[in-house]
Amino acid sequence: MLILQLLVSGIQTGAIYALTAAGFALIFGATRIFHVAHGATFALAGYAFVGLVNGGFGWPLACLGALVLAVAFGLAMDRFVYRPIQRHEGSFFTVFVAAFGVTIMVQSLIEIGFGRSFAAVSTPLTRAHQLLPGLYVAEVFWVAVAAALVLFAAVTLFLERTRLGIGLRALSENPELLRAYGLSARRLSMIAFGLGSALAVPGAVLTAITTGLQPSISAQVMLVSLAASVVGGIGSLRGAALAGLLLGVVENLVVSVLDTQWSSAAGFVVLFAFILFRPSGLFGRAVAR
Amino acid sequence: MLTRRQTLAAAMAAPVAVPLAAPRLARAQQGQPYVVGTLFPMAGPNAEYGGVFTAGVQMALDHIAADRMLGRPVELRAQDSQGTPQGGATGMTKLASVDRANYVLVGFTGVSKAAAPIAARAKVPMVNGGGVGPDLAGLSPYFWNVIPLVNLEVRALLPWLGRSGLKKIALIYVDDPFGNAILAELRRGLPEVGASLVGTFSVPPGSQQFAAVAAKVRDAGADAVYFASYGAQQSQIIKQLRDNGVSQQLLTYSGATLASVAALPEAEGLVFTRQAADWSSDDPVTKRFVTDWRAKHGGDPGSYHQNYYNGTRLFALLAQGLEKQNRPVDGDGLRAELLRVREFAFVGGKASFDDQGCVTMPIEVNKLQGGQYVRLS
Amino acid sequence: MIAYLLNLATLATVFGILAASLNLLIGYAGIFSMAHAVFFGLGAYAGAQIAMLLVPDVLLACLAAAAVAGLLSLCLALPALRVRGEYFVVASLGLQMVAITVFSEAHAVTGGHGGLVGIPPATLFGLNIGDPGAFLLVCLAVLALVLLGIRVLMRGSFGRSLMAIRDSESAAKAFGKDVPRIKTLAVGLGCALAGVAGALFAFYMAFVNVESFTLEQSVLVMAMVIIGGTATLAGPLIGVLLLLLLPAGLSFLTFIPPTEIGAVQQFIYGLAMTLLMIFRPAGIAGLSTGRR
Repeated sequence: MLILQLLVSGIQTGAIYALTAAGFALIFGATRIFHVAHGATFALAGYAFVGLVNGGFGWPLACLGALVLAVAFGLAMDRFVYRPIQRHEGSFFTVFVAAFGVTIMVQSLIEIGFGRSFAAVSTPLTRAHQLLPGLYVAEVFWVAVAAALVLFAAVTLFLERTRLGIGLRALSENPELLRAYGLSARRLSMIAFGLGSALAVPGAVLTAITTGLQPSISAQVMLVSLAASVVGGIGSLRGAALAGLLLGVVENLVVSVLDTQWSSAAGFVVLFAFILFRPSGLFGRAVAR
Repeated sequence: MLTRRQTLAAAMAAPVAVPLAAPRLARAQQGQPYVVGTLFPMAGPNAEYGGVFTAGVQMALDHIAADRMLGRPVELRAQDSQGTPQGGATGMTKLASVDRANYVLVGFTGVSKAAAPIAARAKVPMVNGGGVGPDLAGLSPYFWNVIPLVNLEVRALLPWLGRSGLKKIALIYVDDPFGNAILAELRRGLPEVGASLVGTFSVPPGSQQFAAVAAKVRDAGADAVYFASYGAQQSQIIKQLRDNGVSQQLLTYSGATLASVAALPEAEGLVFTRQAADWSSDDPVTKRFVTDWRAKHGGDPGSYHQNYYNGTRLFALLAQGLEKQNRPVDGDGLRAELLRVREFAFVGGKASFDDQGCVTMPIEVNKLQGGQYVRLS
Repeated sequence: MIAYLLNLATLATVFGILAASLNLLIGYAGIFSMAHAVFFGLGAYAGAQIAMLLVPDVLLACLAAAAVAGLLSLCLALPALRVRGEYFVVASLGLQMVAITVFSEAHAVTGGHGGLVGIPPATLFGLNIGDPGAFLLVCLAVLALVLLGIRVLMRGSFGRSLMAIRDSESAAKAFGKDVPRIKTLAVGLGCALAGVAGALFAFYMAFVNVESFTLEQSVLVMAMVIIGGTATLAGPLIGVLLLLLLPAGLSFLTFIPPTEIGAVQQFIYGLAMTLLMIFRPAGIAGLSTGRR
């Protein structure tokens, strides 16, 4: 029963990871920008949600506020940080360092604004009930799984069926196609950042009500997103989502055999193994140059 | 015994005190302020403590100034320890050699260990009121603790555990000297009260996911769960244990006396040890502290506020004694005075220091009820 | 004041060695490692253990540290041979995260979170160099040697091959360069030098624990190299001075409320990283047009 319980917790954690990693993968797949400030988007959205709920606003409004802030932040990163750097033909590492700098800034702003302590929203939704003897499941588990499935399906539909979606997929590989469709690369990149950042919001809200937030959450989310998108095959949305799920499950299942201390390291061991033995990831195309 | 120590301390202090006395006194007449330094984490996951510690120091300084306890004003200099050894060493060097601090308050184990040798070299007393790992005892002659170390807290909880009928205890602990001290103390002490450890789960300090730990804890079939962690992680452990079906009694130490823990609905019923703090006491020092604290911060003070108030007050008491004897207020003088007086009127009652400069204070068992601390023993 | 300046100077020198060693990877070899603090840490633990168990001789400790860090650099060389670019960055991040757990769990060697306390003052050939001034001189000498060594190496055939691989791996292979060997050597050398810096750090602090070898430290060193300017000799040193002196300088600004000083420092640190990358992507010492 312990294994089943760990699997359930793993899926719940993994669903949150999957959504966040999918957002990252969407942005990377379309723009080839290694958006490590995605963790900061996540933290901002989570704190906005907590702040609004504590400020007496209802949940729908708080979620909306978080969504607006996340999308605005993503767009601002694209417009004011990445675009100027790309104009200079900065290497990917330049982008990486700049985004890292922004992450640090966001974290210190949250510390100044919200204090350094734990922030969470308490709700009966996260209180687990005994489903089977020894198996506890909270409503939030179904919410997380449903949110992940619905959003993932919606994004996939959007990418495969709409003109904009196809344009997004073509952006990094086939600029010719864009011109044929009459789409501007700049507008598509904005859409990628907006949509990708929006995908971080459900994970942020779910984290705010389950594990709770700390200002340093952005670094952790960033690491998980990076790891998931590499394991999934960089740029593959499907891969990132599955890998996020996999990482969540591994982190939880591993404690059935190893000391609890190793839980988070286990995810990175998986990552390392993938890089050494299957660098193209779960669904990767060719390995990076 | 006391007299011999007294002379010994005086003899130790004498060679340094005499040549320095004249210029120091001259400086005093110019009203040059005493410098009290703080070396707390001001950013990062443990920064909540920095704010809490500073609030306690600040109130003590206000009282010291209002009472004109000392012949010179006291100035506060804050250094960010970043919560890391390197930050601690750099901050301490700056406090000792640039700010010329007379006295430094510190709070974290790694920081303390890295900074203590530097403070000892510069003969600046360092006082810890936050870290409770037993490895903080006797770091140097100039390193004192105004917080009872954690073995004392665990020992104080055992009799209550014996009476409570909780037999099987699971432990979640951060794998560092502090957490391991709690592990060792529980392992040794639980059988004495007819209880036992049924599971021990170590977690990394930065970890934020505890659903898996909760599953393991339930699997271990414990009656109660003791957790030993610090900072924001404590709230995360409490919330996630409760969310994931651990309804057993939760136990912990004084680290949980943070406003963020008290405000957490899931923390209801938490049992923890802390220094005796009878806020309704008639003891004048305690009464004044509590009254002013409520007026300023609109709530009851916590143990850390109390400790850092006491730590700062200790400086004023020692320096006052030295001023009265017309002796210079320097590291050796302060140390000699501490070892001479030994007993001080602190917030929370009389406190006594041992040879290593570790405080002993009465410890009580509390329960969190409706956001308030209720005394159980 | 002098003690404080000596402290800053020694730390700056140690970090200078560390940044120079990372520059070897990032700047000359094009291997963007985010796990440099791991090798710094390996060196620190190795040096500390030698000092505590055998003799506190700086030279011996540095050699041991270099050997340990150099050997274990294979953990970094393996992914470096397999993948490049973003993949490698993520691999090194993974290594960093796993290493932190290993450091905190291997109590026998690292002391866990409690760390190693009581590292004796350094000696050199039996001569006591525990005095802060003397120790600074030793560190400066090591830094000079490291810089000289890198300069000589990079001007030689090894350096030319390395940079050729960095700029185009396939072209270098076509010219008959033994790419895996050269890359592995470069990683080994960079990590070994990081180990040397670690051993010096351990002697200087007289206390080491895992908190000095975290991801934040790796990011800090990386930022030093990037902000200063990669593939230049002076760049990393400029970066070190800037980033080490920034918090030190800020702590002199008394108008910042003491409780916010840490957050303000972090904010400025992040802001500096971002602005520099936008307006001077090649770093302060780098050529303003080229990106490497």
